[in-house]
Amino acid sequence: MIEARNLYKEFKTPVVREGRFSGIRTLFSREYRHKEAVCGISFQVERGESVGYIGPNGAGKSTTIKMLTGILHPTSGEVSVGGLNPHKDRRKAVRQLGVVFGQRSQLWWDLPVKDSYDILAQMYDVSPADKNQRLNQFAELLDLNEFWETPVRKLSLGQRMRADIAAAMLHDPELLFLDEPTIGLDVHAKVNIRQFLRTLNQDFGKTILLTTHDMDDIEQLCNRVMVIDHGQLTYDGTIPSLREMIGLPTSIRIKFRGAYHVPEDLDRRAHSHLFRVTGMEDDTVMIEANRTEVSTMEIIRIVGTWGEIDDIAMEEPEFEEVIRSYSAS
Amino acid sequence: MKLKSWLTLYRLLIRTSIRSRMQYKFNFLLAAVLAALIQISEFLMVAIVLHKFGAIQGWSIYEVGYLFAVMTLSKTLYRTFADEVHHLEKYLVSGDFDQLLTRPMPVLLALMPQNFRIMLGEVLQGGFILCWSLGGMMKGGQVSWTAVPSTLFIIGTGAVILFSIGLATATIGFWTTRIGELQTFTEDAARTAAQYPLSIYPKWMSSLLLIVIPVGFVNYIPSLYILRGELGAWVLAASAGVAIVCLAASLRFWRFGITKYQSTGS
Amino acid sequence: MLYFTLASKAYARNLQYRGAHMVHNLASAMFGFMYACIWIGLGRDHPLGEYGTQGMVGYIGFTQAALWITSFISNGLGIPQAVRTGQISLDLMRPVHLFSHMAARECGQIAYQLLYKSIPIYLLYFFVFSLQTPQHGITYLHTAAGLSGAAYLSICLNYLIGVSALWTTESSWLYWGNHALINLLAGFFIPLEWLPGPLESLAWMSPYPYLLYVPTTVYLGYGNAFWLWGTLFWCALLTVLCLLATKVVRRKVEVQGG
Repeated sequence: MIEARNLYKEFKTPVVREGRFSGIRTLFSREYRHKEAVCGISFQVERGESVGYIGPNGAGKSTTIKMLTGILHPTSGEVSVGGLNPHKDRRKAVRQLGVVFGQRSQLWWDLPVKDSYDILAQMYDVSPADKNQRLNQFAELLDLNEFWETPVRKLSLGQRMRADIAAAMLHDPELLFLDEPTIGLDVHAKVNIRQFLRTLNQDFGKTILLTTHDMDDIEQLCNRVMVIDHGQLTYDGTIPSLREMIGLPTSIRIKFRGAYHVPEDLDRRAHSHLFRVTGMEDDTVMIEANRTEVSTMEIIRIVGTWGEIDDIAMEEPEFEEVIRSYSAS
Repeated sequence: MKLKSWLTLYRLLIRTSIRSRMQYKFNFLLAAVLAALIQISEFLMVAIVLHKFGAIQGWSIYEVGYLFAVMTLSKTLYRTFADEVHHLEKYLVSGDFDQLLTRPMPVLLALMPQNFRIMLGEVLQGGFILCWSLGGMMKGGQVSWTAVPSTLFIIGTGAVILFSIGLATATIGFWTTRIGELQTFTEDAARTAAQYPLSIYPKWMSSLLLIVIPVGFVNYIPSLYILRGELGAWVLAASAGVAIVCLAASLRFWRFGITKYQSTGS
Repeated sequence: MLYFTLASKAYARNLQYRGAHMVHNLASAMFGFMYACIWIGLGRDHPLGEYGTQGMVGYIGFTQAALWITSFISNGLGIPQAVRTGQISLDLMRPVHLFSHMAARECGQIAYQLLYKSIPIYLLYFFVFSLQTPQHGITYLHTAAGLSGAAYLSICLNYLIGVSALWTTESSWLYWGNHALINLLAGFFIPLEWLPGPLESLAWMSPYPYLLYVPTTVYLGYGNAFWLWGTLFWCALLTVLCLLATKVVRRKVEVQGG
């Protein structure tokens, strides 16, 4: 569905001069600062996938999305979206994709929401019957009815985002790009939007690529994640395997039935490097283990010698932690 | 996208725009009349001088009024449909230009209908001065009614020339982002200069206004024929030719500029 | 020295754009050049009164430069924008009088425009048209007084336009109306004595001649230094009006709750 080959983008900004007559000198200067925003990214996304695209600020996420959607021309490299090149054949290519930018709206600022849909339907040649049928569907899933007649400028951020996503899907594209779709929204609005995106992906088989800073978005929506840092793709795979690669400690709470005994010379035993005890309460012991190095069964076997185990609870590391430590390493 | 459905879309946008303006009917009309009066003051300034001294270099008050009115109406026609071209800087600074690039239509056609501007004030002002000056010249026997269709024709070609100049200037924004200062020069100053007969300027300046920024072809050159019978009817064809060449060149430049667009933000 | 700080910040804010402003100066200079060409054209066929062609070119040169300190200043001193954003209630809360606050800020803006607009533009005309300078030192003093008074008048006028934004969203019409009156009544393009009689008398009943016509004719030596008393009179009158307006504004904002 999406194919990027060796994408490369360099920005040129004129060097701002300092000192006397700096304004005029900047105006006529031919000196530029070169910044590589994206350097040599390649990947493929298959139909029906839901991909999260993450990385620190300024890593090149938005630049990549803008190249995929035909907004920016890559310095070198090729993009193919649904078999078309969005730079050579922009008009045809963008017909099969929907784009949502969390930070700005594609709706008409001072028109009622429904008027924006009329215009978009006309723009994308959507027949009135199709338009009404889709809008009815969206209205139910996204609760659009409550602000149908309201001018866009008076919508809350959450309402606007719902309206914007419906607008991006009005021409029924196969592929949906979302740049920070949940930015600045409250919890309730986030849940609503994730629900809708999941429906699109799972029930309607739409392909989704989204960037976000909210790791819940990724965990709940994406079956694949790509990490970009300093313009380079540093990871591409599933979320569990990303977690494993980094090997952040899994924390385990072990509840004992009755008395238990933690050996005092634990540090000196052969298995001491496999896990460490981080706390002890009345009947519970907390330990942290790196599961790429030790299996859960092994831990249970060792801990089982300390007393009679009643219950075990495991907590996977927070996803945000994963990314932070991945980018740092 | 087919031309026909684009026209339907454009009609839809015009209707919405008019409807939202008409919510404040009184305000809208008052604003239009005020705008017309204020703009007439600019012409009045020159008219008073011409009334006192008679003519500038042989150009009567009616003839200067004609130049003034044709320029106003051409500009009005250009800005009514393509005001957003003039305001491209806004889109470049905010990054809203991104949205337009995701539309399944030529970017320019997506940009223009973003705002349909109703410039009733300018139409009133230009129309009034045009009727007054043409009326005056007809009464004096200087022109006949055939001047009317030719005038409408050059208002059209003039709008195309002004649009092309505006588009070429806006395109420079893809490199510089800021274009306001440059527009004052290529659009406002040049247009104002051509409200007077170019023959009053030194040679270098009138050549500049005919060759580099061809505003002279909007009103001055055609009026030499329409009002004074100089040159010949081919002047009208030449003006149309200049309009077509300008349009083609500026569209080419625009298409090239878009590939250099650097979206803001990360 | 609060007022000085306000002014110097407004001045410094502009410094960062002076490169772009120089391009703008070229365009502004072109307008004056155009007007001068019209008078030169007229001068070929008609004697231009006591001014003569060279005198009229000098007239246009000086008014076009002076415009940037006495007429083209911030629209409504930036008050309409402050009203739109709600900033105005913050400004009214400050322990400074709104009028002196806004006026001080505008002084910085005007100082910038004097140095980076008026002077470069006048120098350009000076060399292009070989303009004359006044013969008596006292003329410079009178001109400086006339221009300072004109700048202050302009601040007052724009303040009154600005505060009207509290009552109407259409205050930009007042701004454009003010421009139109400057075009006609301030001697922007035509010396006032050539206006049709009624218009001329109307002009002298308004503060507009003191914005451009008076400083310019004083500088060129056609005017009368006695007119500067008129400048002083209007400055005093408009100051009183501005203070009254501020009082009303304060009440209005308090009633609206900001």
